[in-house]
Amino acid sequence: MSKKVSRNIFITVCISPAILLFILFMVVPTFEVFRMSLYRWGGLSGSQQFVGLDNFKILWNDMDFIQSFQNTILLIVLVAIITLFFAVFFAAVLTREQLIGNNFFRVVFYIPNILSIVVIAGIFSAIYDPESGLLNSILGIVSLENWQQMWLGNQDIVIYSIAGALVWQAIGYYMVMYMSSMASIPASYYEAASLEGAGKIKQFTAITLPLIWNNIRTTLAFYIISTINLSFLLVTAMTGGGPSGSTEVFLSYMYDQAYGNSTYGYGMAIGVIVFTFSFLLAAIVSRITKRDVLEY
Amino acid sequence: MKLKHLLFVGFIMILTFGLAACSGEEADGDSEGQGNGDDNSTADEDVTLHVAALESAYGEEMWRNIIEDYEAIKENVSIELTIEKNLEEVIRPQMQAGDYPDVFLLATDREEALTETMIKENGLENITDVLDMTIPGEDVAVKDKLLEGFSDTLATNPYGDGEMYMAPMFYSPSGMFYNAGLFDEQGWEVPETWDDMWELGDQATEQDMSLFTYPIAGYFDTFIGSMLYASGGADFFNSAMTYEEGVWETEEAERVLQTVEQLAEYTHPNTVANANPNDFTKNQQLILDNEALFMPNGAWVVEEMAEAPRSDNFEWGMTSIPAFESGEGERYTFTFFEQMWVPAEAENTEAAKEFIAYMYSDEAADTFLEAGAVQPIEGMTEKMEGQQKEFYSIYDEDVLPAMGTFASTNPVPGVSISDALYGSIDSVVNGEMTYEEWQATVQEASDQLRPEMQ
Repeated sequence: MSKKVSRNIFITVCISPAILLFILFMVVPTFEVFRMSLYRWGGLSGSQQFVGLDNFKILWNDMDFIQSFQNTILLIVLVAIITLFFAVFFAAVLTREQLIGNNFFRVVFYIPNILSIVVIAGIFSAIYDPESGLLNSILGIVSLENWQQMWLGNQDIVIYSIAGALVWQAIGYYMVMYMSSMASIPASYYEAASLEGAGKIKQFTAITLPLIWNNIRTTLAFYIISTINLSFLLVTAMTGGGPSGSTEVFLSYMYDQAYGNSTYGYGMAIGVIVFTFSFLLAAIVSRITKRDVLEY
Repeated sequence: MKLKHLLFVGFIMILTFGLAACSGEEADGDSEGQGNGDDNSTADEDVTLHVAALESAYGEEMWRNIIEDYEAIKENVSIELTIEKNLEEVIRPQMQAGDYPDVFLLATDREEALTETMIKENGLENITDVLDMTIPGEDVAVKDKLLEGFSDTLATNPYGDGEMYMAPMFYSPSGMFYNAGLFDEQGWEVPETWDDMWELGDQATEQDMSLFTYPIAGYFDTFIGSMLYASGGADFFNSAMTYEEGVWETEEAERVLQTVEQLAEYTHPNTVANANPNDFTKNQQLILDNEALFMPNGAWVVEEMAEAPRSDNFEWGMTSIPAFESGEGERYTFTFFEQMWVPAEAENTEAAKEFIAYMYSDEAADTFLEAGAVQPIEGMTEKMEGQQKEFYSIYDEDVLPAMGTFASTNPVPGVSISDALYGSIDSVVNGEMTYEEWQATVQEASDQLRPEMQ
């Protein structure tokens, strides 16, 4: 046996458990989701009826699905933009400026991220409480009574209340990610820039932002995935999709259909859309934000 | 060196095969379970009965006692119990692998809708003959003890064909709950008609109280059910439940929806904001704090709010849903009950049916009653005490019982009658939806479900 062949056998043997696990727990289930989306099936019985693309045709006209889709897109866009802005801002301040209690703020910002989403739902339902809630009380103290709202009761704003909670829990995590890449930018760049007379803002846009750009690109994909997942958890725990379906997101709608409405196949069709949508969105975002990677 | 390599390769192979074997086993179980619905239990053969029950507020202890007593009567039966708060999540994978419990205690209207899925997929065993069975340990037939009306509703005969697929268990009247102490103090009468109700609403508004609140919109199921009964009688209720053509456009249905819209004006302003799974107790608290007068609920609310702070001389009261006309108008109160059923795929169907028959024995009923669960059999109200007796005696005072639910249909993607009928209520209360729009939504869902009736 030549050395090369034996080496190849060794490699194959080594990676086969991982490949097998990957196929068994990732590829097969994903394939199953795609297959089940073509069936009419309640989820328990043996009677699965092949219906082709019928489930997708029904989806096209299902206003509840379209509403949940809109809600999800709105959440992804809002959460990504607002979190990105605040996380980069705080990360820049905490790495570049010598603040008193620097470490304290790092911890404080990161805490929401270690809390379970159910705890966050509890915290925010206390904040949004119409009578004794933090938000309405503060507005009352500063005499802005007419800004007081039924944060979880008014169908026009409840989705923004959800977005608020999601942003709050996400900032710390992304801030830490940006801080780690900002910390590795050599301080000499900033010194040189300030000698040339560049202000803080110029330094940020000309040095910090380009040098952490790759990191930001990666996190954009995270925003998409985590907002899709976390919005489902938060909505389930906090509003139950209500009032009257106005906070339904597509995963909660999928769950509703697959289990609550006994239309498992239809639920899987929604799953296919979610899968394709998040895949495509992540690809598009990654594509349009592509820049030459700057080295230092 | 060579040996070391061999050992390593051997180890990896074992691991790989082990994994493959594990996944293979699952598939085996699947094929084994298919089509094994035949009964292979005979009278004296040893049977292991697998009972799956939801762990609810009544606790787990009650079931252990029941099983102990049953095993003492039926020596050839041993019972294996699965009792979980999240029963669906535990059982569903087992069922998908073909391993079905013999008896389920799991009601409809749960979020995961396992029972509804079984109904829709024709996965339940016909248990009509349980009614004629002699109760184990007694010499009475089940049908002679069962309270009237309980075995012929759509909640027990989901296909509306007179065949029973689910046995009624643990019933509880539901109605409007209020603070009886406050009514005494203010000298208010409990309203019997909707006109009385609106009058009381105006009086309450003067004192900065709201007439009405509700925990979450889903609690309207029994409320609207009772109103449909009161508006058009039992036949009308059944035609609504069986999606009859144009039923929601009739005058009877219209006045129900219109009344709910009017009730929205008297609903506490915080209600919708709190009408979610996280905060619904805040709405229930409004009753304890005298901020709202009435809410639809079931007898369990007393236990649920037992630890909550309350106003002085607070005392729970329950009343029926008001009548539409004064004088001859009928008042109804919905009876909510849980269900016990046998999957068609169960292995020991006969033994399972006998176990269900035992649920109606005096011995079992007493064990249940100790834990607060009431079986729908004759003479239970006499055994109760205090507040429980008061709630269960509501039918003594010219109030009629209402029972039933929507008829089962084939699953229709994206269409749910309860979402259309109850889910829209938050919008109606918020003023985002008029009753006409609501009516159209419900009628549309009803139209889509009619052809899919089984």
